[in-house]
Amino acid sequence: MNERTNQIGNIYVSPRAIATIASQSTIESYGVVGLAAKNLAEGLAQVLVKDPTLGIEVCFEGDSLQIDLYIIVEYGVRIKSVANSVQENVRYAIEKAIGLTVNRVDVHVRGLRISNTD
Amino acid sequence: MSDFDFPATMDGRQLANEELLDGQGLKALIEAGMTWLKTNQQTVNALNVFPVPDGDTGTNMLLTIQAAYIEIAKSGEKNIGKMAHAIAQGALMGARGNSGVILSQLFRGFARSLDSFDTMDAARLIKALAEARNTAYKGVVRPVEGTILTVAKDTALAAETSLAITDDMNIILERIVAAADESVKHTPELLPILKQAGVVDSGGKGLFYILEGMLRYLKGLPLETALTTVQPLSAVSVGETIESIEPGQDYEVVIDFRPIQPLNFEIFYSDLSEMGTSIQVGEGEGMYRMHIHVPTEKRYQPIDYTMGLGTITKVSIENLVAQMENQGSTQPPKLQLTAVEPGQIAVVAISPGIGISRIFASLGAAAIVEGGQTMNPSTEEILHAVENLLTDKVIVLPDNKNIILAAQTAASMTVKKVIIVPSKSVPQGLSAMLRLDPNGDFDRVVKEMTQALGDVETGEVTIATRSVEINGVNVKEGEVIALHNGLVVNSASNLEDACLGLLEKAHTEDHERITLFYGDNISKNEVNTIVDRIRAAYPHHEIELHEGDQPHYQFIIAIE
Repeated sequence: MNERTNQIGNIYVSPRAIATIASQSTIESYGVVGLAAKNLAEGLAQVLVKDPTLGIEVCFEGDSLQIDLYIIVEYGVRIKSVANSVQENVRYAIEKAIGLTVNRVDVHVRGLRISNTD
Repeated sequence: MSDFDFPATMDGRQLANEELLDGQGLKALIEAGMTWLKTNQQTVNALNVFPVPDGDTGTNMLLTIQAAYIEIAKSGEKNIGKMAHAIAQGALMGARGNSGVILSQLFRGFARSLDSFDTMDAARLIKALAEARNTAYKGVVRPVEGTILTVAKDTALAAETSLAITDDMNIILERIVAAADESVKHTPELLPILKQAGVVDSGGKGLFYILEGMLRYLKGLPLETALTTVQPLSAVSVGETIESIEPGQDYEVVIDFRPIQPLNFEIFYSDLSEMGTSIQVGEGEGMYRMHIHVPTEKRYQPIDYTMGLGTITKVSIENLVAQMENQGSTQPPKLQLTAVEPGQIAVVAISPGIGISRIFASLGAAAIVEGGQTMNPSTEEILHAVENLLTDKVIVLPDNKNIILAAQTAASMTVKKVIIVPSKSVPQGLSAMLRLDPNGDFDRVVKEMTQALGDVETGEVTIATRSVEINGVNVKEGEVIALHNGLVVNSASNLEDACLGLLEKAHTEDHERITLFYGDNISKNEVNTIVDRIRAAYPHHEIELHEGDQPHYQFIIAIE
């Protein structure tokens, strides 16, 4: 499904491209203050080379596009509402930008950030 | 959120006279802001540009502030810090949608600043607004300007500059509201998508209404009725068709104009009312669209009048009488769906035919999804219908066992509270509709509607598309088969025999009423013949006939 053929040729959209769109859309969502590594290995790798698609996992299962998001949420917001918004924002952004149907967006809240105010 | 009694206008002028604001004063202001937002909720909802089903901003913000109010509704707390914390807590729990979450953040920052102070004066107010803004901005890495965040920012700034001139909180609030209004009007300049759609930011507008409500309360102005029904530009389109014309409506005049001075809506409306009817005013960025129906002799009056108010950019005049003559009377009457208020229970019914849709609508359905030829609406269509409703308590009636799954999928894709009452047929769905109580307790209504599904026997009559032996019945292709509650019970060579056989198998003699819906694939004559025979067979039963217009099934029969 990430490959489409028309009369002129093929259009192939890489998972990385999709992840970048998802990443932008996630970080712009209200309540999200960061993206998180999904495991220790990825976290360590981040120290060495900053990956712009950190916290985003794009998976194609045949025709079905599935996105996993690993986010840090601001402490004090209603997490459920924020997560719902993120799901909708990511789905909308990908479907609008690339035209692929997103079958599933799983949001993993990896942590909360407590902000100190002055 | 259960039904909620909104208070009539209280006397805020007493509060306005106080030097300091305490817990009870804050409670009253929140109540006022909430009431005014409720009154103008539809206006805010109509501004929503994004197709992302965040739901309706007005409804979401209202639900959020309602949740905050419910937390303090019974509180006699005088300490403003404690009151503010309770408000913030309530808002946090009830935050809905993007704007709702941001609103809850604003309350949180406000509360944090007030800490445990007993009362608030002007200086403390300014600090609290600044803290509210800071907290809201902390909730996102890349804040988008031209949204509710911007309005919060501009409001805090206006408060700060006001403090230099006065420490009268009434004046400061007045200036805050004016600044919020300006900020909202400016949002299309900051966010291109708003400019494109010709609207202002919905979240910002919602915040404005909350603040304006507080101001109106202090001035003793009413909060129950909207000033005007000002809609976004896109809602007032040129050349709208109408079904019937009242006398005096010969011409439709639509004028786009820019007023020189801010428009006084009350005077504008009353002046226009002298000229014609069906007045609508739409607001864009600094521009208004006015729509009115006038009699022939007055058709130029709105133009002359508006010219005196500012610059007219576009005028459209259409002869309504001629338009109606062209259309003729072949248009079927539109479905009169039930309007729904937030907090009420709405029903989305899936219907196979327009005749059946009308019946669902007349029983109180708020939205209908047409099942189409194959009775297979998409999950998207169902979700769309759910999201477009003004409430977040929704019941879906699939009316077909194959649609239950799609309905459940749609329900899982929305933040609204959606329950599927699993009607497997139209008669079951209609039976459930009879138990609908839009203002009742959601769980109880769902239970009652579900129970009602068993109150009716469903019969379906159609032509067999292949030969098969099923359920002990031998069916040949082209024969007429009858199904009772989804199972084939009868097969006959003609419709009449099939129907009667079905009624017999369904033990109709033990019931009282037979309702028949005939489809789009049978002639009225044939229908009448069959119904006459049914009447003869069941002389003591109540027999009703309706045009269902459904495809595929010649008859859908409800026996109860």
